[in-house]
Amino acid sequence: MNNNVVIHRLATGVPGLDVILGGGLPEFSFNLIIGPPGSGKTTLAHQMMFALATRERPALYFTVLGEPPLKMLRYQQQYAFFDGDQIDESIRFVNLSGDVSTGNFDQVLARITQEVAVFSPGLVFVDSFRSVMLEAQRQPEGAIGLQQFIQQLGILLTGWQTTTFLIGEYSLEKETHPVFTVADGIVLLDQNVHRNSMVRKIQILKMRGQATSPGIHTFRISSAGIVVFPAALVRDDPGTAAATDRAPRIEARLAMGVPRLDDMLGGGLPAGYSLLVAGPSGSGKTILATAFLAEGVRRGEPGAIVAFEQTPSQSRVRTIDQMVRAGQIGLINTRSLDLSIDEIVQRLVDLIQRMKATRVVIDSLSGFELAVAPTFREDFRESLFRMVAVLAGLGVTVLLTSELEDRYTDLRFSPYGSAFLTDAIIVQRYIEVESRLKRVMAVVKVRGSAHSNELRQFEITAEGIVIGDPVLDYEGLLSGQPRRTLASGPID
Amino acid sequence: MSTTNHDRHHAAIRGTLARSAGDSPDASAIAEATLNTWRRMADRLAPVIGARGVDALFGRSLHVTSKTFPWLAMAGNDGSNAALLTGLKARLAGQEPAAAAEASDALLGNFTELLTTLIGASLTERLLAPVWLPSPSESEQESAP
Repeated sequence: MNNNVVIHRLATGVPGLDVILGGGLPEFSFNLIIGPPGSGKTTLAHQMMFALATRERPALYFTVLGEPPLKMLRYQQQYAFFDGDQIDESIRFVNLSGDVSTGNFDQVLARITQEVAVFSPGLVFVDSFRSVMLEAQRQPEGAIGLQQFIQQLGILLTGWQTTTFLIGEYSLEKETHPVFTVADGIVLLDQNVHRNSMVRKIQILKMRGQATSPGIHTFRISSAGIVVFPAALVRDDPGTAAATDRAPRIEARLAMGVPRLDDMLGGGLPAGYSLLVAGPSGSGKTILATAFLAEGVRRGEPGAIVAFEQTPSQSRVRTIDQMVRAGQIGLINTRSLDLSIDEIVQRLVDLIQRMKATRVVIDSLSGFELAVAPTFREDFRESLFRMVAVLAGLGVTVLLTSELEDRYTDLRFSPYGSAFLTDAIIVQRYIEVESRLKRVMAVVKVRGSAHSNELRQFEITAEGIVIGDPVLDYEGLLSGQPRRTLASGPID
Repeated sequence: MSTTNHDRHHAAIRGTLARSAGDSPDASAIAEATLNTWRRMADRLAPVIGARGVDALFGRSLHVTSKTFPWLAMAGNDGSNAALLTGLKARLAGQEPAAAAEASDALLGNFTELLTTLIGASLTERLLAPVWLPSPSESEQESAP
């Protein structure tokens, strides 16, 4: 029989944070929230406090010099989680400036002990702890040292069964600092400014007794507070493993909504596949994607689209708009320039689950790359890989469009070298025939399935894409300058 | 800040001061009541916004109020809060009761408004509610300007 202690985990009330903490915050733990000024430490602390504090588990918030409490209250009220009704009911603020400025840690400890004894809090916050540490340097010889103080504080607060947070601007160079050893958990917040975008990052450096999600996650602060976008959601996904053994068992195929294209794909796009549609500007990628979604709607298969570029006046875009307005497909439309891929993935996964979507379009990867904060662009390929893996794990069928620079000297399918990421590829090209630009399309690959290898001419009409016959009597089409091989009539 | 909050705070302050000073008070009773009310306000606020925060707001309120009541101005004030309060008490006690009452209403009212602009009406009300005493009579609340 197992009589080991069971550690309860508290739900922090910060979306995404519990996931990267490995299931929530261990009760009675002694934690540090650290990061540079403006990284969101106090906001994180407040958001957790307002979510966790109850009459049965009240919170004590000690403010120490640093940020004037007046200002803290003034600014924190701007967030939706700030609930004035909880103050003095389940949350109490206590200002320790006077005690700390005496530089006598015994006195500070006594004051904290006294307040803790009176209020019996389940949660204790000390903001900011750095002020306490600065005072420590002015300690007279022989007085209680900072290390002792922290150890005693840790013992005291654990004894009183409180979950504790010390908030402060520590730098990681001083990682040997005693406070880092004493702490059960360390949450590091950071913000990176790169060119014109700002990206906030969160890292769980330490959390005793549970498996946290390693690595750097991104988060965003809005009027609702902090939302964390766990990167681990992507990395831990079984989708990558599934992709390798998925090919032999194609269970169902999806109609593309473009006549004759299904035949070219060998009977439609296998369900759960990812399809890359690559082509130069104006070749009809978005129209193909729209047809794919519209066909799904017609068959009662809801869809979702992430649109990074849109020109509202275009008729095909109206179709997307109509479907979105009718609630048949979900839309994420963003032109913000400071996204993290994890944030987009998170929003897309939420949307897919809400819409019960089975068809997903990302239009386009080129727009996506622009929308992603510059600091993530270096890892764009890796991130795409993770995104495709997550979507595969959800079992949805994905169509990604990719702008393809018109180059007739080489045959390329994607500017990211990411053609291998997807299960199927359709490429669109312009060709010049008798002084006219014509469009051709070909299925390059459909993993684990027979498919057409023909280059087909196609046109874009008011009804959508109309695929013509194979271009049989020309060669060198992909060079952009086809030569006629037979004396038959011109292709048309 | 909305007029309703403004009126409610002023009514609460007037009621509390009237209750605290007793029936037909002289100026020194009013001064005593003002300081008592102020101390209860400060006791509520100091743990939340810090004693220094309270002192800073009070100093500013006194400064603003002395524009209307020049006799309140503390020239050469050394900045210590205790000295400020002693001076305030003496000045209030030296006035006609009506003027003293009006000035102390205005002072505490200005302080409350200042706090409201900084931390919002609901939090201000939440923090100060335990300070206010029910007024001796409803009519007194209504008749005041």
